[in-house]
Amino acid sequence: MGTTVLLVEIVVIMSVVFAILFFMYYKYLTGKTEADYEATHDDYYDYGSYLRDNQRKGGFFSTNNFILNDSRSIGMRYLMTAIVFFFIAGSFGLLMRVSLIEPNPTLFANNTVLYDVLTTEHSILMIYVWAVGGALGMAYYLLPSFLKLKSDKYGSISSTAYWIYVLGAIFILLSRTSTRWYFYPPLALQLNPYGAGAYNWLAVIGMEMVFIGVTIASIITVRTIVMDRSEKVPLTKMPLFAWSILFTLLMFLASAPFFMSALAMLFYDFFNPIFFTGVGSSPLTFAELFWIWGHPIVYIAIIPEFGLIYEILPKFTGKKVFSYNSGVVGLALLLPLSELVWGHHLINSGFGLHWAIFFAMTSFLVVIPSAITIFNYIGTMWSSNKIRLTTPMLFVINGIFDFIIGGITGVMAAMTPVNEQVHGTYFVTGHFHFVFMGITTGILFAGIYMLWPTITRGRRYNQRLATWHWALTAIGSFVMSMGWTVGGFLGMPRYVAGYFARYQVYQDVAIAGGVIIAIGQLAFLANMFLSLSQNPSVSTNNAFEDAYDNELPFDDQEEPEGEPIKTPAPAGGR
Amino acid sequence: MNKKMKLEAMWLVAVLLVLGMGAGLELYSTSLPNFSVAEKDTSHTNLPTNSNVIQVTGEQWAWLFTNSTGQTTTDTFTVTVNTTYTLVVQSDKGSHQFAVIHDLYFPQFDIQIYAVPGQNNSISFTPIHTGTFVFECVEYCGYDHYLMRGYVKVVA
Repeated sequence: MGTTVLLVEIVVIMSVVFAILFFMYYKYLTGKTEADYEATHDDYYDYGSYLRDNQRKGGFFSTNNFILNDSRSIGMRYLMTAIVFFFIAGSFGLLMRVSLIEPNPTLFANNTVLYDVLTTEHSILMIYVWAVGGALGMAYYLLPSFLKLKSDKYGSISSTAYWIYVLGAIFILLSRTSTRWYFYPPLALQLNPYGAGAYNWLAVIGMEMVFIGVTIASIITVRTIVMDRSEKVPLTKMPLFAWSILFTLLMFLASAPFFMSALAMLFYDFFNPIFFTGVGSSPLTFAELFWIWGHPIVYIAIIPEFGLIYEILPKFTGKKVFSYNSGVVGLALLLPLSELVWGHHLINSGFGLHWAIFFAMTSFLVVIPSAITIFNYIGTMWSSNKIRLTTPMLFVINGIFDFIIGGITGVMAAMTPVNEQVHGTYFVTGHFHFVFMGITTGILFAGIYMLWPTITRGRRYNQRLATWHWALTAIGSFVMSMGWTVGGFLGMPRYVAGYFARYQVYQDVAIAGGVIIAIGQLAFLANMFLSLSQNPSVSTNNAFEDAYDNELPFDDQEEPEGEPIKTPAPAGGR
Repeated sequence: MNKKMKLEAMWLVAVLLVLGMGAGLELYSTSLPNFSVAEKDTSHTNLPTNSNVIQVTGEQWAWLFTNSTGQTTTDTFTVTVNTTYTLVVQSDKGSHQFAVIHDLYFPQFDIQIYAVPGQNNSISFTPIHTGTFVFECVEYCGYDHYLMRGYVKVVA
């Protein structure tokens, strides 16, 4: 009897819910059909771009970006998410830094596990949301105009992928895991505050969701680049940014399955530990699976930014890129080479000498494409008569400078004897912060400054604040990474909440750098709010897309010197 | 071959030269007699037969050192200068749920070696100065990871 009543209640509630859902869907479909009709009428390739062009208010903080399904809205979504998570993860980083001011734990004295949680969240969110999400955002946003897309019809799938991805990132944030970004079992299976944190399983689910989201987005973007290009943009003259995105996403699709399967096995191990801690199995198997993915991810975090540099340089040097072909080769070579070097993360795990030498040698090979790319940048700048030192260009120059230091320290760390000295120390942290602060963060910010009139709907950024942002980020990251690199070479271990007093001077230098970076990011926020408080004063066109408005694509076209030519927005505009 | 291609070829040759030097340095330094890297040695086939073998056990969160006479010390041990020692490192669960991965690192001796559950790794080193030197765990292993450190005394 009670059951029948319950069933009736459920049926009634479900009917009401479905009626509401159906009504919402009906309203959505009617609006979409109307917009589609209007868009076709006005020569737009999708209704999303049409709506964006005809609703001039909003912009960066517009909720339209989260409702419309065209590529630009989705790109803006990814960029907004990336910036929000950059500030969350960045403040985690600042807290960690400040807590290390004394050799013994200060801020988290009675609860050092909080330090471990902050470290883990900082690394995972920075890599998977700021670096990968920022790159995807730039790709979704810029590719339609770079490639003069014929169609943009996978918006709803891209949108679904985005929501899976962002939900995964939120799960990771909520899980308060302290397992480090590599999830090594058996520690990851220790579901208590003394191991990986009580909710580490939620982090594993979140990671899988992030992977599923990025995989779907990757497949769609690769399809966009390969098949939806206009005939006016042949593969041989495709913008270098599109090449870099293509190689990045192929690299992702080639290497992510290793870690996805490892995570699935790890998740099963929570209930029945058979894969990594059972009899006859070794936890090192997980480490190997992880690093087959873990090395390509660090290239995935920088190759899109290499492509962005190729787009920024011609704008401010007035010259086209020195060598288009070696640019493509330099980006392409990283794809196979990144898959060969994973063993240098595990040289001391008992692999033995022969494996160590093999992986050291393959790691040296990665220098070739990186050097080709860097020489290409330097060649472009060298051949220029006049370099305009705007904020994006300053970020590019600082990025090249930082990448050279980060690259050399990286090759050093791969050599077997040096690796025995520096593996697991702050030397490694310094190495990848040089690269990630200089290239990933710096160039993404450079791209955001290039897109500024578009994302703020016609506001100009404050030049003075932007220069301060650049200067503080550059100086702070150099001081911080250099303090770590020197201290790490002398044996300062990373991932620790306290340390031997002999390393205090290096830690304190790094803290000074970290605080300087944090102040610099406040300048960025101030700039953003200042822009939003102003009235629109310039065209919403941006320099990135204007470069591809002319009929001739990339290589045949001499960039004009001085101010870029402003052309009216094409149909299907922003 | 125009000027641009010549320049590009020059870059490539320069990079390859630097790489060759790096590879040579790698091969030279790993062939030095006092160089040692962690080797998997579960069946103890590579162990020397002398008494300078030290059994090391990493657990959450302490390092236990057992010398050839059977004495066990926690987070500290003593060695004699100019003698070659072999460390055999393993991981144990102690009073916890699992044995986890650790990494024993002597910054001033330039050696480090993972402690992997179910696997013995071995490495050798020769101290050439007397004094007190530090060692640390550099693979994250839980709550008190940062306290998993200590001192090694080298005596004459």
